[in-house]
Amino acid sequence: MWLNNVVAGLTPGATYAIVGVLLTLMSQLTRVVNFAQVAVGMFGGYISLTLVTKMHLPIFVGVIGGILVAALLSALLGWIIATWLAEASTSARSAVTVAALLFLISLAFILFGYRNQPFPTLVAGPMFTLPGGAVVSKVTVLVIGLAIVITVGSWAFLKFTAFGVKLRAVSDRQMAAELLGINVKMLNVSVWSITGAIAGLTVALVGPTASNDYVTVSTLVIPGAAAALVGAFKRMDLALVGGLAIGAIQGLFSGFPNLLIVRDWVPIIFIILFLLWNQRKEVWDVAR
Amino acid sequence: MTLKLNDVTVSRGVGPVISNVTLEVTPGEVTTVVGPNGAGKTSLLESLSGVIGISGGSIELDGVDISKMSRRRRSHAGLAHVQQGRMIFPSLTVKENLQLTASTKADMDGALALFPELEKRLDSATVLLSGGEQQMVVLARAFAAKPKYLLLDEMSLGLAPVVFLRLIPIIEQIAKTGVGVLLVEQFAHLALKIASDSLVITSGHVSYHGPADALLKDPDLLKKAYLG
Repeated sequence: MWLNNVVAGLTPGATYAIVGVLLTLMSQLTRVVNFAQVAVGMFGGYISLTLVTKMHLPIFVGVIGGILVAALLSALLGWIIATWLAEASTSARSAVTVAALLFLISLAFILFGYRNQPFPTLVAGPMFTLPGGAVVSKVTVLVIGLAIVITVGSWAFLKFTAFGVKLRAVSDRQMAAELLGINVKMLNVSVWSITGAIAGLTVALVGPTASNDYVTVSTLVIPGAAAALVGAFKRMDLALVGGLAIGAIQGLFSGFPNLLIVRDWVPIIFIILFLLWNQRKEVWDVAR
Repeated sequence: MTLKLNDVTVSRGVGPVISNVTLEVTPGEVTTVVGPNGAGKTSLLESLSGVIGISGGSIELDGVDISKMSRRRRSHAGLAHVQQGRMIFPSLTVKENLQLTASTKADMDGALALFPELEKRLDSATVLLSGGEQQMVVLARAFAAKPKYLLLDEMSLGLAPVVFLRLIPIIEQIAKTGVGVLLVEQFAHLALKIASDSLVITSGHVSYHGPADALLKDPDLLKKAYLG
């Protein structure tokens, strides 16, 4: 019973992990905590829904269209920040993404209406059954696989490609990189568009399995941020583990009616615990 | 074929930090800029590479006005700016730092020929290197970009004099390959020794512009120039 619940929590957990890894990448490479990270994916999801239901395009064409829109929206946001806030503080740059989050939610209400509509299903059904009887769905396997591929792939890309080395240089010292002739703006916008596309793909995969209203999907950035905090917005591997752990704990709690109310607090508890842990030295120093 | 500043004025915050500076950097030669702290030497270099804009005058690189160009385009036009404070990329290895500008194996080999000691540290994280080694990485990286003009800002900052002494002949060697070097330095005597032309800046104004030899031979002239 409890194993079933933990397994059920792994799909949202892997989603948090993906968002956490994307937030870590964005924070490291573009100096932004991107609160609109999932909102662009949500908007792409509804674009694909429109393409499939209103324009009667095949599901895969609709999904690709949605991913492209998510990538373009994210690139546009990145371009705006790279153009007008290139030398602004991380807080100022991140504040712009809060505005973008609210704007995209409002725009979704205007363009796609107030009624919830289910996303077209890309994959469905069970993948295999664990010895205890817990059923693992195809979506769970796919999203966990995607989270691992994104984490390992991003690490390898940054470590072994010339493009990745340039991104790390920009992340270290933007001005010095620019003085070497590196196209900082193009690199930044590329990161924005790639993370936007991944957010679009993630929403397309998990959207049909859960509540997909604009606000619920867009605010997946909160448990995603909790996962990113586990890796201190620096380590993608820990963000991956953090996301899966948050999802698994939430799943476990949902098996106990008395703890059901606590389930949604798990990401917030993770955030508070991380902040306390991170501040422990400061508190000690002040006490001295 | 020169890097030319025509009557350049640079303003920061409340007013000008550099006023009406005219200067020519010639390929194959070292031009040294000296002056007391806060005189505006760093601002002068920053205006050349585009870190800060100019508020008056113009900057020409081989006859092309680069005053309004972005930092990246100035770099592609042939300017390399080594900022003060050992601007390594700490998360990168020595090799990765050099690969940012060395587009061919020959560029990499050329850079390593200047500093053979870096060869055995190629796979080390740059952040783990000593201050002197880090400055070597920065200089080698700039040289690997094959610049026409190299702007060097206070390379001695935070280095033991003996380490800086190791860098001086290399700057001279770089100039001999045809690169025009504009060297800003606190150690005036060391810098003037390898320079042909020199400039003394005090409070944003040029108080001396002439042969470096003359300043070296006449300490009173240097003192007078420093006092404005």
